[in-house]
Amino acid sequence: MAGHRAQWKGHLKIGDLSCAVGLYTAASTSDRISFNMINESTGNRLKREFIDSETEEVVERDQQVKGFETDNGDYIMIDPDEVAAVIPDSDKMLEAEAFVPCGKIDDVYFDKPYYLVPVDDADHEAFTSIRDALSKTSATAIARTVLFRRMRTVLIRAHGKGIIATTLNYDYEVRTSKEAFKDVAKVKVEAEMLDLAKHIIGTKKGDFDPAKFEDRYEDALAALVKAKAEGKTLPKPKPIKVSKPNDLLKALQESAGMEKSSAKKPKAANANSGKKATASKSTKSRAKPAKKKAS
Amino acid sequence: MAPRRPYWRGYLKLSLVTCPVAMTPATSESEKVRFHTLHKETGNRVVSQYIDSITGKPVKDEHEAKGYERGENDYVLLTDEDLEAVELETVRTIDIEKFVPRGSIEWVYLETPYYLTANDKIGDEAFAVIRQAMEAESVVGISRVVLGRRERAVVLEPRGQGIVVWTLRFGDEVRPENEYFSGIDKKSDAKGVSAIEAVIKKRMKDWSPEMVSDPIQESLLKLIADKKKAKKQSKAKTSKSKEDDDGEEESNVVNIMDALKKSVAKELQSRKAG
Repeated sequence: MAGHRAQWKGHLKIGDLSCAVGLYTAASTSDRISFNMINESTGNRLKREFIDSETEEVVERDQQVKGFETDNGDYIMIDPDEVAAVIPDSDKMLEAEAFVPCGKIDDVYFDKPYYLVPVDDADHEAFTSIRDALSKTSATAIARTVLFRRMRTVLIRAHGKGIIATTLNYDYEVRTSKEAFKDVAKVKVEAEMLDLAKHIIGTKKGDFDPAKFEDRYEDALAALVKAKAEGKTLPKPKPIKVSKPNDLLKALQESAGMEKSSAKKPKAANANSGKKATASKSTKSRAKPAKKKAS
Repeated sequence: MAPRRPYWRGYLKLSLVTCPVAMTPATSESEKVRFHTLHKETGNRVVSQYIDSITGKPVKDEHEAKGYERGENDYVLLTDEDLEAVELETVRTIDIEKFVPRGSIEWVYLETPYYLTANDKIGDEAFAVIRQAMEAESVVGISRVVLGRRERAVVLEPRGQGIVVWTLRFGDEVRPENEYFSGIDKKSDAKGVSAIEAVIKKRMKDWSPEMVSDPIQESLLKLIADKKKAKKQSKAKTSKSKEDDDGEEESNVVNIMDALKKSVAKELQSRKAG
């Protein structure tokens, strides 16, 4: 635990039992490849600056305030203290309000994961009791608290020797799958086709370790840049052939036959077998300066 | 929430079966209360613009280009069309390479959810075959796709009439859990566990989006609405007497703040009690 700093410290409470805990960031986000913005006519790099939309004068940070737009297009300034006053004081208590079976959680609400860890030795007994009760009942606890200046709902779930707390997105930030898929045509799939597809799936079953995945984009981009710099014509993407409804059965039959004979052979398309060089390069690329954020 | 424009259009592929698909984000910040940045002195919006770093002059949109740094101050300019020529089939195609049991991907790797549907009538049946076969086998598909100039590992999970696509975090983005959990006891006190089990069973509920409401957003919206009202009232008064104006507005705001604090406190209380 040395070297890690808790993002939040407080108490985890279920029923009458509570223990002091810390939340630690479980995942960070690395940046995509950032390009430099260039002035095409001079070849110089671009810089971003903030200007007044009417007077066009440069506005320094200390002259920038928050505001919102009224219906008639005017702007009203808002005092940060007024916004702060809306945020309730935190009681630093993650108290379980309800429990939901693990399988019943709608995961599209997931935001960010945190490792939840007991703070003192004295808290271990309460912590392990909560952890094992959650895992024995296959339940997740729903708790709410003020976290990072917002009232956040947190999903608490036992994970190995510890507990993972996931912040959840708000109702207005998520479109439910039911709504998203309500206009999808209901298609009656022929049993023969379904059996063939199931067979194909059977030949492709395996394990997957997300930690070993490698991003091949950087290498592909470097090749493209090289070709362009050398004045070569860039390859046109090949047209993609879509399976027509009339050919679908045939495509499935051929796939099923083909997969049967080649199921044992390693596939060239499996990029996890990429060279070592790719690994170090892509790590380096992600260490590049962060992409510029528009404000 | 209103339907969104597809974020990505391409193809879903299982072996020799290919169908056109569209992908839309499941989450959006569009309905979150957002403030604009204003210039304190003039009250106008603050906007950002690009200037040439050497000449200091503003640069028009049509002269802005993406540059890949080849050496110091040496850039290869790339157009969006060039970028489409990147030789990775995953730019346009989600080819399902592998299937794993449903639930076998650790939650901590799930990053961003998208909804995938067939993008043309011609693909409806192929899409349905792939989705239903995954569902029948209780598996999720593993593939990769280029999004935001990175190739991402993705999980495809059949849900309802569509497929949920999750981008997965990269290995070096997930911190090793051992560094956090190794000091925690493996064993637990049987009595303590069963006491908590009883509490859990008593308060087991179904998932509901009400569990993720945002009382602060509601308060912010109210704050904004009341400020707008206050401004309108003060404007109406301006014609009569300019003197009273500021006083009126302030006292109004103070009352709103008190009311807001109370409403948030009440909301918290009721949650605790329920």
